[in-house]
Amino acid sequence: MTALSKPGKVVVLDGNEAAAKGVALARPDVVAVYPITPQSSLVEHLSSLIASGELDAELMNVEGEHSVLSALQGAALAGARTYTATSGPGLAFMFEPYIRQPGLRLPMVASLVTRDTLTPQCVWGGHQDAMLVRECGWIHMYCETVQEILDSVIMGYKVAEHPEIMLPVNVNHDGNYLSFGVTRCEIPEQALVDDFLGPKNINWHAALDPERPMSVDPLTGNAGGAGPSMFVRYRKGQTEAMAHALDIIAEVHADWAARTGRHHAPLVEEYRLEGAEVALITLGSMTGAAKDCCDALRAGGRKVGVIKVKTYRPFPVAAMARALSQVKAVGVMDRSVSYGWNSGPMHQDTLSTLGKTGLRMPCLSFIGGLAGADITEAHFERAYDAVFKAASGDMPPGPLWVNEKD
Amino acid sequence: MGAFNSLTYNATICLGCGECMMACAKAKSGDADRFDQSRIKIVPAGDNKFEAALCRQCGDAKCVMNCPAGALTKNAASGVVDWNADLCVSCLLCTVGCAYGSITFESSVGHVAKCDTCGGDPACVKVCKSGALGYVTTASIYNDYGKQEDLFAPGLAACQGCNSELMIRHVLRRVGRNVVVAAPPGCIPGMGTVGYNGKAGAKVPIFHPLLTNTASMLAGLKRTYERQGRDVTALALAGDGGASDVGFQSLSGAAERGEHILFLCFDNEGYMNTGMQASSATSFGSWTSTTPVGDKLQGKRTDAKNLPMVMMMHNAAYVATASSVFMEDFYRKLDKALAASKQGFAYLHLYAPCPSGWRFPASLTIDVCRLMVESNFVTLWEYTPETGLVFTRPTDKPKPLESYLKAIGKYRHLAQEQVDRIKKLLEDRLAMLKRFVR
Amino acid sequence: MQSCTYLIVGASHAGLAAADAIRMIDPASPLILASRDSHLPYSPTILPYVVSGRSKAERTALRSEAFFKEKSITFLRQAQLQSINAEKGLAHFDQGTSIRFDKLLLATGAAPSLPAIPGLGDVAFHVLRTMDDALGLKTAMKGARRALVLGAGLIGTHAAENMAEAGMTVSIVEPQMQLLPGYFDSQASSLIEKAFEGHGIDLKFGRSVASLKPGVAVLDDGQDVPFDLLLIATGVRPALSYLDGSGIRIDRGILVDERQRTNLPAVWAAGDCAQVRLFQSEGTGVAGILPMAVEQGRIAGQGMVDDEGQKPFPGAVSLNTYSFFGQQAISVGAGISGADSPGTETVLRFDEGAKTYLRLVLKEDRLVGAASVNHPLDPGILWQLILRQTDLSDVKERFLADPKTTGRLLMSRLWR
Ligand SMILES: Cc1cc2nc3c(=O)[nH]c(=O)nc-3n(C[C@H](O)[C@H](O)[C@H](O)COP(=O)(O)OP(=O)(O)OC[C@H]3O[C@@H](n4cnc5c(N)ncnc54)[C@H](O)[C@@H]3O)c2cc1C
Ligand code: SF4
Repeated sequence: MTALSKPGKVVVLDGNEAAAKGVALARPDVVAVYPITPQSSLVEHLSSLIASGELDAELMNVEGEHSVLSALQGAALAGARTYTATSGPGLAFMFEPYIRQPGLRLPMVASLVTRDTLTPQCVWGGHQDAMLVRECGWIHMYCETVQEILDSVIMGYKVAEHPEIMLPVNVNHDGNYLSFGVTRCEIPEQALVDDFLGPKNINWHAALDPERPMSVDPLTGNAGGAGPSMFVRYRKGQTEAMAHALDIIAEVHADWAARTGRHHAPLVEEYRLEGAEVALITLGSMTGAAKDCCDALRAGGRKVGVIKVKTYRPFPVAAMARALSQVKAVGVMDRSVSYGWNSGPMHQDTLSTLGKTGLRMPCLSFIGGLAGADITEAHFERAYDAVFKAASGDMPPGPLWVNEKD
Repeated sequence: MGAFNSLTYNATICLGCGECMMACAKAKSGDADRFDQSRIKIVPAGDNKFEAALCRQCGDAKCVMNCPAGALTKNAASGVVDWNADLCVSCLLCTVGCAYGSITFESSVGHVAKCDTCGGDPACVKVCKSGALGYVTTASIYNDYGKQEDLFAPGLAACQGCNSELMIRHVLRRVGRNVVVAAPPGCIPGMGTVGYNGKAGAKVPIFHPLLTNTASMLAGLKRTYERQGRDVTALALAGDGGASDVGFQSLSGAAERGEHILFLCFDNEGYMNTGMQASSATSFGSWTSTTPVGDKLQGKRTDAKNLPMVMMMHNAAYVATASSVFMEDFYRKLDKALAASKQGFAYLHLYAPCPSGWRFPASLTIDVCRLMVESNFVTLWEYTPETGLVFTRPTDKPKPLESYLKAIGKYRHLAQEQVDRIKKLLEDRLAMLKRFVR
Repeated sequence: MQSCTYLIVGASHAGLAAADAIRMIDPASPLILASRDSHLPYSPTILPYVVSGRSKAERTALRSEAFFKEKSITFLRQAQLQSINAEKGLAHFDQGTSIRFDKLLLATGAAPSLPAIPGLGDVAFHVLRTMDDALGLKTAMKGARRALVLGAGLIGTHAAENMAEAGMTVSIVEPQMQLLPGYFDSQASSLIEKAFEGHGIDLKFGRSVASLKPGVAVLDDGQDVPFDLLLIATGVRPALSYLDGSGIRIDRGILVDERQRTNLPAVWAAGDCAQVRLFQSEGTGVAGILPMAVEQGRIAGQGMVDDEGQKPFPGAVSLNTYSFFGQQAISVGAGISGADSPGTETVLRFDEGAKTYLRLVLKEDRLVGAASVNHPLDPGILWQLILRQTDLSDVKERFLADPKTTGRLLMSRLWR
């Protein structure tokens, strides 16, 4: 803990409540909500914070997720800091305004309390919902712990509203495991958060304000004339901001750590990679079990490590490459599938990283934790075994389905 | 020269009661029984029908041109042809000029007399029970708002004869600059109101919401301004597709929550901007590109969703239907809706016949608008939770429906059974609306 | 030399209506309105009222200086047209001024025509066509007691009434057997004559002046009529000497087609100076009444400015309203001043006691003419019924019983 950092109040709460507390500390102007499992208790907490006056924000109880995000876009164009949360089908319904938000370059934080998607009908955790929107232009950060949820929601605003970024941020936490898992959590002081976030920066670039009249989102493109080049320049700027976000995310995490004493790896966490032969790549709450397994195997002398991805979009290629370069084989544990590749989506990202950086090593795809299934230490151990086998030349032909025989 | 207010007379609903003549006689002579003093003359036309001789306050009035004494002048401010008793020499040459029998001489009166509109507050209109007499102040509206800045770019690329372009320009003239305009995809942004490739189409903040989320985007925006303590009008200029189809959920939600929005729906009965596809607002039997006419199908097979009625059922702060032929009515409703939108959800449904999509000549837009109302194809009314539904134009004695249907190409194929069904529908709908009259 | 697009000569009803029509379409091109008169434009019709004092000379202007300024019209006074060179587009005025024009309208009206009475050159007499005439007559009346009026047309009767009202002893000499011949039949006239006689006016019908000496007129029956003031009102005719050598064709007036064009391409004529087609009879004539001057002036102006809304002149219809001693008479159309002509149907209502008279003449159920005394009619509606040749068969009975109300009913319908 540095001299600057201040200890906060320590409480015990679940991930949804932690997210709500983090939101309240970030002082949004407008919060729009529509309940959905497993997000509901989050917006319930938030609503009661507004009801009690603890949070001074405009609460909009709108009629569906589509309108939730639409209302918040309108609010942001009038200068509001905004927040919402959703899951699975709610995210699917939100999709139309969702894909528009990054194009509008409207900063905000939205929690995805991740959930597997229909069908089969399912209300339990998984990353499939968030993975389906991974290419929409939002920044995606996955949390491992309740504390990281609270901290990341706050940090998310700082990233989103950074004048060089101006993009929306999804702070994702696993439905069920994190949303309802109760643990210790330190709540920072309001003054600390206020000072950390500084003044709001929402609509300097695009506003719907009679005092600054402008057309927002006129038709742009088509063949010929100014359209195509304008559109290209626009898109290019958006992707450049996305790439630049990696630097800003790192900066913001460092700043947060300096103020609170809590260090969260901003992009990729290297866990016990020194001297490791193989590693497993994780995302979100599964990391805890992976680390426990890793510790146990290390105690038994096996050279294993864990690579946790925190920032999934933009994908931290350099940080990943640095981690990967320390091992001989790797396995990727996805909680979702990429239908087109018959593997996990993060597996594809890892293959791309390897390809892009010229590293060569066996890279296995594991798919586990679908629809609320548990990925246990035992599962991770079997996964390490498979990676060791692959390292010695025995590559399975397809992905390994972790919970297939549970 | 500006436009002027004028008295109107609708012979089809005049009861011939003569109250107007009594009121005029009273106003001009103090004696209601002296019909000779009345400057409006209702004349029996047989079969309990009536006609009227009353001054049109002509623009190039022949009575004025014929007066050798300079006693008659067209008042440039009021538009009334003023008569100056001091200058008049009673030569009666003005009565030669008037083809309406509206400047006349009665020996019992002793001088020529004509309507002076009672200085803009005609006594006759006030006593007319049937509504046959009206005082159309549309001209004042044109004069007042014509002076206001047109807040859209001059060169919008709407089709020739587009009713919607006409109306949105009126709307913004009235609403002014302190506004944020949502123009969901459709003809209104299609004509360039939001702009193309970096060029703006309006002088006010304006944006493309999605077709689906106009009301919710405005709701968030408006709430934010209210939170900031700023009074900014949140205005939607939507089409029927974006309001009654895919945008309906957000519209309904916003109305239920009583968001402080002024939502205008320009009903051109379909997706006209993108090639005339049918929407839920497309009327029964209409040809559209997705309800074509062939051996198996003869146009749209279902009746139009009556969105204004649905909005009334939301108990919104203000709901009304309006038409560009009744501008006075429209402006009155716009004023009310604007005021209501400061405290609740205001919905204004504007009938917007589309020459391109409905297939009628661009020069006939206004005629079609008029026929549409006068045949009761649509009715003009307003609703507030306090007053219930009030018809703002009489619905008895409609013009034959056929006169409306015949004017429009998209109904050309209609078989008699289809026409009969529309008739029945219109009757049922009117009866239903009437139940909301208190 | 001044030049202009539009030159209008004559600043009365025809000229002003033309100027209005031009400015409706073309607000800017140079327009000169020239009149030989020294006053702002006024109507000759107002002159009897100036004579009587009912109208103040200075309040008779039909247009103000401000109007001309606003409409960018150059109003030239005291400019009498002397000759025209249409080929060169030149109009020459007195005092040596000339104006170059692209298009010219002649709206110079008419002038009193003087009878060839021996001795006329030796006596002081008045006519009434200009403001100066009216003011001169008014001044002359102050020292005079006995007035003699020659001619019982509209001008003569108007003037006679005014002089009688001013307290003079007035006689009218009229060769025909009634007042206002041509406008009314003898029965209608008798009601008017009663009013004249009631006001002490001496009506000498069927006689004419054989010769004049200062202060005395000798009638054709030998009677001497002494006078202090002599007014000649025996008719008008256009004074067109300025057309000599111009190539513009004239007859009783300037010959024009139904769009008021003369035989020369850039020259139009309208009003009392023009000879136009007649609506109710074959041939052409000078209409000589104010409403026709207004119609023609507008049509000419529209033609000069190429207004697409121009409609041809349908032909002159006789339209006269006549107020006398607080009573009113109206004469519209044809067939009302003499005996019935074949094929017409006449309704006549005459009530000597009530001093009312009404005559309606129809042909094939269409209105031909109407005349009334103290019986209100809407002459503007009757004019339209004649022009439109409206079939009255459906409402004939009602129309004949109550032409005023029925006319209003018909026009209300027609205009809707
Ligand atoms: C006393 C009187 C009473 C009348 N009462 C009636 C009536 O009750 N009802 C009715 O319908 N009609 C009446 N009239 C006739 C009516 O006034 C004329 O028909 C009407 O004025 C014709 O209009 P105008 O423009 O053709 O010519 P005018 O009114 O005659 O105007 C001619 C214009 O041309 C100008 N002018 C003439 N010659 C020249 C020239 N060489 N150069 C430059 N300018 C020239 C004159 O100054 C004048 O401005 C009456 C006329 C008079 C005199
Ligand atoms: S009656 Fe009076 S108002 Fe009419 S034309 Fe004659 S002077 Fe003019």
